[in-house]
Formats: sequence, structure tokens, C-alpha cells
Amino acid sequence: MAVKSIGTYDFPSRSRQELYGDDQLVHLWFQGNMWFCAAACFRAPKAMTWGDFWNGLVVPYAEEDPDFDPAAQRVWTLHGEQFTPRDDQTLEEIGVEHKDVIGMRVVA
Amino acid sequence: MTIAPKAPRKLTMKQRYEALTRDLDWEPSYVDRSDVFPHTEFEGIKIHDWSKWEDPFRLTVDSYTKYQAEKDKRLYAVLDGFAQSQGHLSLTEASYLNAMKLFLQGVTPLEYQAHRNFAYLARHLDGPGPRFAALCQSIDEMRHTQTEIHTLSNYNKYYGGFHNYLEQHDRVWYLSVPKSFFDDALSAGPFEFLIAIGFSFEYLLTNLLFVPFMSGASFNGDLPTMTFGFSAQSDESRHMTLGLEAIKFLLEQDEANVPIVQAWIDKWFWRGYRVTALVAQMLDYMLPRKVMSWKEAFELYFEEQMLGGLFQDLAFYGIRPPMHVDDAIAEKEILSHQVYWTLYQFSHAAAFTTTVPDADAQKWLSENYTETFDQLYKPLWDKEAKNIEAGGRHFARGLPQLCQVCQVPMLFTEPGDPTTLCQRESVYNGEKFQTCSDGCQWIFEREPEKYVQAWLPVHQIYQGNCGGPTVPDVLTWYGIQDGDGGEYKGSVDDRNWQKWHDAADHSNIGSEG
Repeated sequence: MAVKSIGTYDFPSRSRQELYGDDQLVHLWFQGNMWFCAAACFRAPKAMTWGDFWNGLVVPYAEEDPDFDPAAQRVWTLHGEQFTPRDDQTLEEIGVEHKDVIGMRVVA
Repeated sequence: MTIAPKAPRKLTMKQRYEALTRDLDWEPSYVDRSDVFPHTEFEGIKIHDWSKWEDPFRLTVDSYTKYQAEKDKRLYAVLDGFAQSQGHLSLTEASYLNAMKLFLQGVTPLEYQAHRNFAYLARHLDGPGPRFAALCQSIDEMRHTQTEIHTLSNYNKYYGGFHNYLEQHDRVWYLSVPKSFFDDALSAGPFEFLIAIGFSFEYLLTNLLFVPFMSGASFNGDLPTMTFGFSAQSDESRHMTLGLEAIKFLLEQDEANVPIVQAWIDKWFWRGYRVTALVAQMLDYMLPRKVMSWKEAFELYFEEQMLGGLFQDLAFYGIRPPMHVDDAIAEKEILSHQVYWTLYQFSHAAAFTTTVPDADAQKWLSENYTETFDQLYKPLWDKEAKNIEAGGRHFARGLPQLCQVCQVPMLFTEPGDPTTLCQRESVYNGEKFQTCSDGCQWIFEREPEKYVQAWLPVHQIYQGNCGGPTVPDVLTWYGIQDGDGGEYKGSVDDRNWQKWHDAADHSNIGSEG
């Protein structure tokens, strides 16, 4: 169903990727950890390597949880599938797109 | 010879009302009716006979102004007395005012927006009865805006968080929740607005959105706000009657209106319900002296009164309870805890303060939420207590994912599973959009071209539209100053409160430093 309106109703998205240049928004979901009330939202270059994403953005954010262990074994998901990131892969190579949600669960 | 003019015939109240309202209406003769009222057809609502509109109240402008002026006089006498006697010192605690900061920042600007849109309805509805009712409500809403500002301005002299509420309403992340809710209604057609605000907001959810603030005031020594609440009460009951009349009128006019109205009820119940997330945490966490739990309020005011009462009546018209209402019911045990935990982590970027609930408050939470508090949320506060002992009250170090529709951080959980966040994703024009629940996703997918325009605070910060890239840049742009937000314990408000109450000599009350 479409908006019922008095005229043409066609406006661009206020969050579209081009507004971020070479960057994109990436969500990180701390699954199974209630300390983080919601998934985090980062702005990251598409060409950023996983290593830089992890060490530069995720770890400083996640360290707010006193139990956070950067070395813990984790299961990662993207688009409903598990994946294993390598530090030298870029976000784009991994397949991360604008506003994707990356799931992260610590293996007990 | 002169003939003495006949003494004017005295009209009854009803005749007088008719003469001064409906009888001032006329049929346009040299322009087309649809040119005079161009906005009442595009939504698909069919009205056959406006004269069937039953005016829910019979007021004329002169009796209206006389009555309101008397109420104002009484309110302003209370405000003066409270200010002169340093009444703010008899509040339960300075932290109570966090509820009022949220009210002034989040609700008062909505009163003004309601004033604007009811003025629009007073011009654009093509029946004289509802036009006049909308005019009265428009004036009411302006009066509420003004009296709320005046009522709370006294606290601005002594406490943080009150000084920049209008700009903050337009800019700050948690205030985008009520703002975007109302913007959604303002940008809808006139009939949808009537159902969105007149019915859903003023009738269906008013006891969960507006009344809790007034009850909180009366339980916490805030006489001015309580008096404002009383002064608004007779207006609010008129607004409720208008909302109810509006929905019944639309349903009676044409059967084809029923599915349109039903879809609006489905949408606006969920939109309004998501705004109540802020009220839920206020009731359970912000009030030093509790009124009732969110769960209790929800059961009484929504489940009993609305589902058990109103919707039984509306069934006659073929209207069923709102879609997704079961998800709301299922959330009543967990909602306030999830929301306050979020505000606690992000209050360094808010114009109110938060703190760990003390032992008494946790006991109350545990007694009122026997199924959930000890099991799910107390462990978080226990962990935070250890954090604090180790020297670190924590705040989030980044930004959260927001729901594209309600704009609340995506903190809500899967129905039936309070430990798994609810993530919903839709694709529109090749772009991904996430929503927090089935309710918000349904609303998004019904009108995606509307919600793709959402001004999501997190995205705007990342686009560089909010003053700069760092937290201090954004806070400056928000107009948030030292003492407005963060931790309550040790805050400027807390320190002043202690000082003003401990000092044997009260001559320095109200002074800073």
C-alpha cells in the first residue's frame, strides 16, 4: 500500500548510502549479551579491513562491558549465514553492505 | 411615530450555541465546494451528512474564554505561591524533576503541534460542527503549551535540564521519538490526524501518556504540575469526547470507512504505544515516590478500560482491537526495565540524569515484577554496582542502532524471548531499513515512502549534521550543558539539593556554587 497524498509523493531516503561517501553504516549486534541494550551503529569505510574495524571501532566500544574478552571465540553471522572474518579482508570483501547487521555471539 | 424596538428574544443555551457555531456556516455559491475544502477526499473517507455530527460539547467562544480565564487565575495563583515559598524544596527529591524535564522536552512541544494541526482542522474539515470543536481544541492546546511552560519555568531557576527544551525537542536523540510520532500525524490527512491524535492519543492512550506525569507530580510534592493537570483535565475530557465522536461519526457515515479507520487504529495504537516506552520507565524508575507500576497502569488503563470496555463498544461497528496489541500486552513485564537500562547508558547525552535504582527501589521493582526483575534485570544492576565500586559508572561509548519508524534504540526483544533483541529488516528501493518489532515493520511496509525520510539522530550525527563528530560537539549542538545530564549522584542538582536541605541557615537557598 502506498501513501495517500494530495500530490506526487516521492522523496529520497535520508539514510541512503551516497550521503556517507565511501563509508557506510554498519550495525554490530552483541547476541546473548544483555549488557548492550541495542546493537551498535558505526560509520566505517567500505575499504576498512576487518582488523581495523574490530580493533579501531568494536573493541573500544565493547570494552565498556567489564566482562568483554576480545580474544573469546565468536560466531559471526551476516545475511542469516555464518562467516569467519579474516583481519586483512575489507568489509566490502566480506560482503557487508550499507546498514547491514553483523551478528556476534561468544561461544560458551 | 416611533415604534419601540422589540426586546431581543432570549435564546436558550442550545439555540445560542447553534446560532454562534453551525448557523455561521454557508454553502459556497460561486466557488466549488471542493475548492474550499480540498483536503477531505484524498484519504478515501466518505462523509454523506455532516449534520449527523453530534457536537460532543456545547461551548461558545465567550463562555469558553470566561471559563478558561477562571482556571488560569487559579493556576497562576498556585504558581506564585509555590515560587514565593520556595516550594521546590518540598519535592520528594531533586531527581523527581527528571520526569518533568522529560515532560517539558518531550510532551509540551507536542501540545503546540496539536494546536497547529487542530487549527488546520478548524479550517479544513467541511462540516461546521467538527470545525468548531477543532477550533476549541486548538485554543486549548495553545493554552496547555503556555501553562506547562509557565508551570515548569520556576524549576529552571534552580535545576538543570529545563533551559533549552524547544531546540532539544527538534534535535536530541530520545526526543526524536515523540517528535517523529507527532510529525507523522501532522503530515497525514485531516481524518487520519483525527484518528491518530483525537482518538488514539487523546482517548485510547491518554491515561498511559499524559496522566502518569500528573499522578507522578501529585505523589512527589509537585503542586504546580498537579494543579496544571487539574486545570487541563476538563479540557482533556472534552478532547476525549471529541476523539470518540470522531471515530463513531466516521464509522457511521459509510461502511467503506471501516477498513480505513481500522488500519489507522492499527497504525496509531502501535505508534503511540512505542512513545509510552518513555513513560513506562518514568513511572518505574524516575519517580522517587512511585504511583503505580507500568504493568499495573497498562492493565488498568489499557487492558481493562480500553480492550475490556471501548473495543467491546466499537465491535458493533466492525472494529476489532488493534493489530499487534498482544505484543504490547506481552511486553508489560519487561518494557520499563529495557528502556531505563538504555537511558541509563546514554544519559551522558541527555538533558536528564539517571542513576542505579537504590535498594528500596530495587525491592519495589522486584515486588512489582515478580516474573522478570530479579531474573533478568537485577543481574545487570548488580554488575553495574561492581563497576561503580571499581571506579567506573559506565556510559555507552558509541551510538545505538535506531528503529526506522519509532526511532527508539533497537532495545526491544522478540515476543516470548526477553533475552534476544528483535531485529526486523525490510528492503525498499534497494536500501535496507531495520525496525524494532512486527508493529513497526508493518507500519514501515505500509508506507515505506514516508518512513525512508525519517530524520534518525544517529544517522544524522554520522552524516555530520549535528554539530560535529565528537560527543562534546553534539552535546553543544543539543544545547546540553554541564549538570543537565549524566549520573544523578554527585550532579549539580544533587549537590544543590543536599546543600539546601542540610544547611541550618536557609538564606542561601537557590544560590549556586
